Amino acid sequence: MTWVSFAQAVLLSLTVAGLYAAIAAGLTLTVGVTRIINFAHGEFVMLGAFLTYWLFTRFGLSPWIGMLISGLVIGLFSAVVYRSFLARVLKHDEHNQLLATLGLSILLLNIAIILWSPDPRVMQAPQLLPALELSGVTIPGNNLVVAAVGGLLFLFLQFVMRHTRYGTQMRFASDDAELAQHCGINVDRVFELSFVIGGFAAGVSGGLVALLLYVHPAVGLDLVIRAFAIITLGGLGNIPGALIGAAILALAEGLTSTFVPNGGSFGFGIAFLLLLFVLLVRPNGLFGRQVQ
Amino acid sequence: MMGLSGRLLTYIAVAVSFVAVAMSGNGFFIQAALGIAISAILALSWDILSRTGQVSLGQSAFFGIGAYGSGILTPVIGAVFGWIVGILLCAVAAILIGLVTLRLRRLYFTIATLSFGLSMQVLIVMTPRITGGSTGIMPPVIMGASPSAQLMLITGFLIVSAIVSDIFLGDRFRPAFFMIRNNPALAASSGVPVVKTKILAFAVSGMIAGIAGACYAGLYGYVIPEDVFTPNWSVLPLAVSILGGMDTTLGPILGAVVLRVLEEVARHFVGGAGYQVVYGAVIIVFIIILPKGLVGGLTQLFRKRTRKAAPVAPAEAAS
Repeated sequence: MTWVSFAQAVLLSLTVAGLYAAIAAGLTLTVGVTRIINFAHGEFVMLGAFLTYWLFTRFGLSPWIGMLISGLVIGLFSAVVYRSFLARVLKHDEHNQLLATLGLSILLLNIAIILWSPDPRVMQAPQLLPALELSGVTIPGNNLVVAAVGGLLFLFLQFVMRHTRYGTQMRFASDDAELAQHCGINVDRVFELSFVIGGFAAGVSGGLVALLLYVHPAVGLDLVIRAFAIITLGGLGNIPGALIGAAILALAEGLTSTFVPNGGSFGFGIAFLLLLFVLLVRPNGLFGRQVQ
Repeated sequence: MMGLSGRLLTYIAVAVSFVAVAMSGNGFFIQAALGIAISAILALSWDILSRTGQVSLGQSAFFGIGAYGSGILTPVIGAVFGWIVGILLCAVAAILIGLVTLRLRRLYFTIATLSFGLSMQVLIVMTPRITGGSTGIMPPVIMGASPSAQLMLITGFLIVSAIVSDIFLGDRFRPAFFMIRNNPALAASSGVPVVKTKILAFAVSGMIAGIAGACYAGLYGYVIPEDVFTPNWSVLPLAVSILGGMDTTLGPILGAVVLRVLEEVARHFVGGAGYQVVYGAVIIVFIIILPKGLVGGLTQLFRKRTRKAAPVAPAEAAS
């Protein structure tokens, strides 16, 4: 193991962390506000990936614009899903909420398989940024794009939550929905907004998926399971926690697959062994608050 | 709640219909019934655990341990002991997992349990000497590979699981279980041994899921980690129980039948890839229309009927 190969593995892992963070940040925002685990978040990402892919292959639209359009479309789609379906299960028991989003995830995944076949596609996008070369370490341009967009998305979500009126309302509704309602906040609208923002993040992440990975119907499922581990690592609802969780997971995965023989086949295992150890010591994740 | 005679009738009805399928000798129906029985057993195991408020997505861990345990041990110490030890192994794993997740709250618990099945998969891949790694193992097929004999045996296991489920719905355990689900602090201060009861539920649930896994391994004679530790085996019992009706014994069995029928219909129309679309659609429709499941919905309907039929019996009902 040389210094260069180690640095290469670390830097590449950190760019993958940008993708993980983009997906996990949207998910943790929705979970934090509504206390619903949205299993369909992965399918939102998958739809975003397909949209960016088509915009590029059919209309030659640059993935920069493609991922923005995907974000907006998936954000709108989330609003439709919330109004038509999820709003009705908010009052149900926890297991019914869980099953509701699981059902939605299974439905979207299989519709995608029926309509578009399970075959993986490659976008063959041009490198959007020039590759970065630093004393023997090369980072491909699209990995830079992923890291940059992931970082921007994180800053955007953090800004919305911390420095806007809607962010304050969302945090209030998440702390105590009933009290927020009495104070004149439209909690239903706030929950919907959190789904729309989560959906926007998922759509943009879908664009990143199209740049970095294969586009196929099951791509979201793989990523959302990792995102669950990440947001639990960081503490549910904690956006900076999701960023750190994403970095930890991406590094752990990248380093094992590079330096442990046969380490690439461990898959989710790494994520979850990590998670188990953290939850043993800190039942609310690394940066989580006590929740009831 | 059903009385003893009602429960016996349920067991007999279930046993008779499964045995009738076994006797019919129709290959298609027997295979379908085998699938139904396995998902019903797995769903009962999930339901027992959920009655203490532990909403798990980790049944695949026990399903897989049961499949691997019985499959590896049967050639070494014989089928009977192999299965017994394999299922005890599930109990041990369940107790460990139960202890680890004891402090976790709601969503944290659910995600942690989801992680067990996936972590088990890695454990298997990392220990190829014992478990065959990613190439899997070939456990001996049970009952001389005769489908109708297999169905009879698995029906027996299903009835046993149903009886266990009813024991936990009986007077001895029911109040403690539901009190822990609704208010753990109140349960503890009322003298319910919360930790012990939760762990008991986990151990029993793990063993029953292990039986389902052992049956699966014994039926198909081929087990690979991706097959038995997939999250599908964790989602299936959840879907089946909620469709059929939670906190009942009949619910998971009924749910397994309904889901299988719908699956076959979808397979006919959609074909091999993507037939699971029906799972998603059914789940969503049921959650909106029948949140209490088939059994809950039927009970409500039945109550309305009897109330309309006998409007002047308030004194009797109150006494």
